[in-house]
Amino acid sequence: MTMSGQHDPAALERRILALLQQADEAQRTIDELQSRDALKTQFLSNVSHDLRTPLAAIITHAEILRDGMLGELNARQKESVTGIVNGGQQLLDMIDEILTYVRSASDQISLVRTEFSLAELADQVRVLNQSLAAKKRLTIERLNGDDLPPVYADRDKIKHVLGNLIGNAIKFTNDGGRIWISFWRYGQEGDEVCVEVGDTGRGIAPNHYELVFREFAQVDASPSRPHHGTGLGLAIARKLVELHSGRIWVESELGKGSRFFFTLPLNPPRD
Amino acid sequence: MPGRILIVEDSPLVTDAFRVLFTEAGYEVDAAATVAEAIERGSAEPVDVMLLDISLPDGSGLEILTALRARNSLPRATLAMTGHNDSKSRRSCIDAGCVDVLLKPVPIGELLRQIERHLA
Repeated sequence: MTMSGQHDPAALERRILALLQQADEAQRTIDELQSRDALKTQFLSNVSHDLRTPLAAIITHAEILRDGMLGELNARQKESVTGIVNGGQQLLDMIDEILTYVRSASDQISLVRTEFSLAELADQVRVLNQSLAAKKRLTIERLNGDDLPPVYADRDKIKHVLGNLIGNAIKFTNDGGRIWISFWRYGQEGDEVCVEVGDTGRGIAPNHYELVFREFAQVDASPSRPHHGTGLGLAIARKLVELHSGRIWVESELGKGSRFFFTLPLNPPRD
Repeated sequence: MPGRILIVEDSPLVTDAFRVLFTEAGYEVDAAATVAEAIERGSAEPVDVMLLDISLPDGSGLEILTALRARNSLPRATLAMTGHNDSKSRRSCIDAGCVDVLLKPVPIGELLRQIERHLA
């Protein structure tokens, strides 16, 4: 008497063995991919760090020349050397963005929380960006926030997030536009604060709302795109906000402007 | 001479740039590329300002402060320079005795102002 394949214990055993083998292979592939990813992250970190050092030397030498410490330059020489300083600084900012991303992606970032005023921090970031905004005749205003209770968060990280959002607003808003920062109490018990950075810039299409927060993603990724960058800024901002148990998102209308929002808890987390 | 500066930095490119800058600004300049060398240079002659890179090939720049303190040869002021600006590493530098922590590369105007302020 023959048994059907379904009930044949030997066939069943063979099938189980084959599945186990497949699971084993899948696990090996996952392990290999993870170790390659870790290697790539390490490589990115090493290269960025190694690029930073000679670049720092180039910028310092160029500043020495620009500031006339080795003799006064004529106007054309000064313009040219200023170009070296500015170009170097831009490159350095991009390298720093990659380094921050690598550290955040490999969970090397820990928060140092203190109590501070968001309104004061926003003013500081506003002042830091004022000259860049003035070049495009953009206004940056803080609309409210004086009566907001202090937040308990990592000041440097939130400064980075605000700086990134305002930097983007400057980059993507045409001459003469408006940028604003505004706050309100948020959450069911009002125990969170929502921060808004808005602009009257070119806006983002709804199908790109998620894409802009993805690493290395740029809405216009063509080599001829008018705005260059690493495509990491908002991915880092999201990571930093999420480390605070907050949320970040965008609402926008093409041609009209964008409003970026992020939330932060007002009180220390209960352990 | 307005003062003696010890540059502790493992990149000769960066050291050279600082050497030009501080020499032109009228300072006496000395340099060290490792923890061991910095301890030796720092205790051989009094240092007014030490510019300290934190990650050095043979250890942490902060070890230099401990060693110089033990030899009673601490500089008048030590300015730490780091490649990344996070609150944790800044705090450890201040705790170790640095008067300030600067993010590399420091704009030269700011660097010279900081040094003057600490020598005043």
